[in-house]
Amino acid sequence: MVKTNQVEHMTLTIPSDLKYLGAVDAAVQDLARELLFSQDAINDLGTALIEACSNAIEHGNKFSPQKRVTVSLRFHEGTLTASVKDEGAGFDFEKALREEPDPDPTSERGRGILIMRAFTDGLDFRYEGGLVCELTKLRDGSAPAD
Amino acid sequence: MKITQREVQGAVILDLNGKLTGGPDADMFRKLFEGLIAEGKKQIVVNLEKVSWINSTGLGILIHNYSSVRSAGGDLVVMRASERIESILYVTKLNLLFKSFENEEDAVRSFTQVSR
Repeated sequence: MVKTNQVEHMTLTIPSDLKYLGAVDAAVQDLARELLFSQDAINDLGTALIEACSNAIEHGNKFSPQKRVTVSLRFHEGTLTASVKDEGAGFDFEKALREEPDPDPTSERGRGILIMRAFTDGLDFRYEGGLVCELTKLRDGSAPAD
Repeated sequence: MKITQREVQGAVILDLNGKLTGGPDADMFRKLFEGLIAEGKKQIVVNLEKVSWINSTGLGILIHNYSSVRSAGGDLVVMRASERIESILYVTKLNLLFKSFENEEDAVRSFTQVSR
């Protein structure tokens, strides 16, 4: 068991292929469980992180085999922060964050930010030579996962 | 993503196994639904019991095929979605689009009720 008041940090680098999403999900689930997050919080964070990595692979790196996605997980003072960085050109994230996504029910796109926002306590983007999507999840007071 | 197809009382049950995330899954799904519609099979149940998770692209795949089936005069419903997937459908309001059932019997019966 890790000491949950310490700073914990791990980094994964994956190819631009959706088949690696399962590995990312497993990694964040294992870490969050060790850090005594509740099962609901673990599922929520995994769902949001899968969405962020999917976007990085599909929209950022455009499935390029030459490009990688880097996922950093950092826990500090009760908050788990997941940063997903791609090697793409980015997008107008300030506009996307200002708008409240409310897609037509039959629209096939436009739900990524909605999902990431709904399942985390914080969502932010920045550009650092690639788009960085940052998700934060607070450890709540409910029962930790078994 | 693996898909097994079977029929129950005139409805097609698609048992999905894996992760619904887009990529090659989108083409496979689209072709499968095109084939079903061409055969006149338009009452379709998507069994999500063994789908561990879904992302927004996967939702788009379901919506695309839902629209195709509805345009052809049929319907697509889902069943046995995990709590994790149900929560995604709820957050994205797709629970208002897809009828979701806990078991196969109710899912298949829903087509009969619609056609009355």
